[in-house]
Amino acid sequence: MSVQEQSPGAALSAASQSPCEAEEAALGRCLSLLPWDRFSAWLHCICVVGFDLELGQAVEEIYPQHSKLTDKEKTNICYLSFPDSNSGCLGDTQFCFRFRQSSSRRVSLHCMLDQLDRDLPVSLKKDPAYYYGYVYFRQVRDKTLKRGYFQKSLVLISKLPYIHLFNAVLRHIAPEYFVKNEPFLEAVCSDVDHWPPPVPGKTLNLPIMGIIMKIRIPTCHDKPGTTQIVQFTQQADTQISIALPTVHEVDLFRCFCPVFFHIQMLWELVLLGEPLVVMAPSPSESSETVLALVSCISPLKYCSDFRPYFTIHDSEFKEYTTRTQAPPSVILGVTNPFFAKTLQHWPHIVRIGEIKLPGEVPKQVKVKKLKNLKTLDSKPGVYTSYKPYLNRDEEIIKLLQKGVQQKRPAEAQSVILRRYFLELTQSFIIPLERYVASLMPLQKSISPWKSPPQLRQFSQEDFMKTLEKAGPQLTSRLKGDWIGLYRHFLKSPNFNGWFRTRRKEMTQKLEALHLEALCNEDLLFWSQKHTEVETVDLVLKLKNKLLQADREHLPVKPDTMEKLQRHIDAIILALPDDLQDILLKTGTT
Amino acid sequence: MALRELKVCLLGDTGVGKSSIVWRFVEDSFDPNINPTIGASFMTKTVQYQNELHKFLIWDTAGQERFRALAPMYYRGSAAAIIVYDITKEETFSTLKNWVKELRQHGPPNIVVAIAGNKCDLNDVREVMEKDAKDYADSIHAIFVETSAKNAININELFIEISHRIPSTDSNPPSSGKGFKLRRQPSVRQRSCC
Repeated sequence: MSVQEQSPGAALSAASQSPCEAEEAALGRCLSLLPWDRFSAWLHCICVVGFDLELGQAVEEIYPQHSKLTDKEKTNICYLSFPDSNSGCLGDTQFCFRFRQSSSRRVSLHCMLDQLDRDLPVSLKKDPAYYYGYVYFRQVRDKTLKRGYFQKSLVLISKLPYIHLFNAVLRHIAPEYFVKNEPFLEAVCSDVDHWPPPVPGKTLNLPIMGIIMKIRIPTCHDKPGTTQIVQFTQQADTQISIALPTVHEVDLFRCFCPVFFHIQMLWELVLLGEPLVVMAPSPSESSETVLALVSCISPLKYCSDFRPYFTIHDSEFKEYTTRTQAPPSVILGVTNPFFAKTLQHWPHIVRIGEIKLPGEVPKQVKVKKLKNLKTLDSKPGVYTSYKPYLNRDEEIIKLLQKGVQQKRPAEAQSVILRRYFLELTQSFIIPLERYVASLMPLQKSISPWKSPPQLRQFSQEDFMKTLEKAGPQLTSRLKGDWIGLYRHFLKSPNFNGWFRTRRKEMTQKLEALHLEALCNEDLLFWSQKHTEVETVDLVLKLKNKLLQADREHLPVKPDTMEKLQRHIDAIILALPDDLQDILLKTGTT
Repeated sequence: MALRELKVCLLGDTGVGKSSIVWRFVEDSFDPNINPTIGASFMTKTVQYQNELHKFLIWDTAGQERFRALAPMYYRGSAAAIIVYDITKEETFSTLKNWVKELRQHGPPNIVVAIAGNKCDLNDVREVMEKDAKDYADSIHAIFVETSAKNAININELFIEISHRIPSTDSNPPSSGKGFKLRRQPSVRQRSCC
């Protein structure tokens, strides 16, 4: 009996379909949605934070009402949703924060969300331990209120790092909410609960309170540096629809404008995961600048914690500001003058003033000495004793300066800056990618009858040797101590995170190749030459492989899973009847 | 073929069948036990009209009183409003007149208004005479049809008529055209209240 004559069996796994079909099928499986499942794919909840004369800040409302937040989370949200200290903020202010999730919760459609996560660029993947809060804060004089001011925040709590999208949503809904209250939020939640799932790479139409937001979530397959702008239809009536050019990007140039001359040093500091604090006059500036810093090493993922807006009330305040340990590898955005003292011992401090639209660029070039930073009133600049490894690229500075003189639009300046960072990061990472790829065992060392071979160990010295011939000098004209930069980077959390991801991908690739090798063997023939015990053992092992491949989405060739299933069926059919029954039923562990 | 997105909102008292009309138009189905709408629900349908494709962006608003104040977000920027009443309930026709007034004061200047007397399958319990409604519609230059979402009467016709009345974009900007004016002078466009 030949293997090919066997019917594939009913239990074909999803992975044997084309990836696209598999995704649709998985979505379909999960889309027998419960109420609020669609909502949960985008938002955890919406909070209203107000000021109570006796209690201080308090979460006044949570929508949908069944949403769960622990007391600790609520406390964090309260303080993070209001300006810290008397930083003014009269009128409307938008900013974002990030906070630790204090207990794990599962959503009923997590399988679908995992699937979607897989296709995201690494820097946009969800972090299971953190939430984002997107805030629209209003503070206006109101004599009818005891406090003399109306102060309220509408806050979207989400796992998704889509600042541009959620800021746009809040800009559209918050002003109306402050006038129309509860029924308005009920309607907002109902709208979001009708949104399509956040599938990367598709143009999504999100109806929200009378308009459509058109967005596209990037995928990991997009060419880096390209922005695939959602196509505009002929009408640009914002009362009907708004097409957002990005879901997650911030205006890089505007953010870096106050510390213009130091962008390359800041890139190094972020790349190396150095402790960094941004002191800003208001939460909107601190949060945008922190996000700009984190994104400047894209497509590398910034792997340490970062807090676009951090206050003295934060539950991690003690942990992060203690003097008994060296400052942690984090980026904090703060506004409270108190931090100037608390974080005096931090090695790198970015001080920014009000972000203006770039009409003038600060003149001073020198890095400031840390001891000159006394209060928040100190001048904008970077306060550090850090000596950059790489020589400064004068060309990008000149190019941007020229742009300012010629009144080049800020968006265009940001595009230039983003491309500059991208090229710099790529020049830096390509030698590492190349070396790590060489750790992969040779194809011929993969034997179906042995476990998959191991990756070779990462050796710093071997890697350094490769730099002589195939270092960043191939793609970057920047001179300087690249070797020193690599040595430092290899000790950083960003390297750890990056290498872990690569190792996992490569191990999976090995598993997949091994699986393919197994499928190309005549397993039935093998089993006939071995004892029944060995055959049963093989069947169980194969079944486990199949499950693993499905669970981990191993990158196997399309028909591999089908083939393997046919092998299993064929072997089982050749066994005695009683064993057949048992093996057909046996699920595997 | 050019694709035009046309925002359309449905207004009217609770229970007159706004959502049923939309369901019939978009899905060609009818559910007698449909839940009351929260805020508004949104659906789209694209139809061909002459040499254009009209993509209707349909905002089906809630009729319940507590959502009343949200209506401006939905009729803002709308090319057309379908105001629905129930021919078996006189008071829903009065509500309709209030909607017309509100649109006249706060709606977009050239909005096409369509009046739909729904549930015309229940002729024996009728409270609003077809002629009265027709006369009223004519007096404000509105489209008028009696519809039955249940029996699929005049639903497609209603939207075809809307397509017909929407000013064409070929040469004119959308603001000038043969849209029916609710007021003589197109006043300054209502800004959002924020």
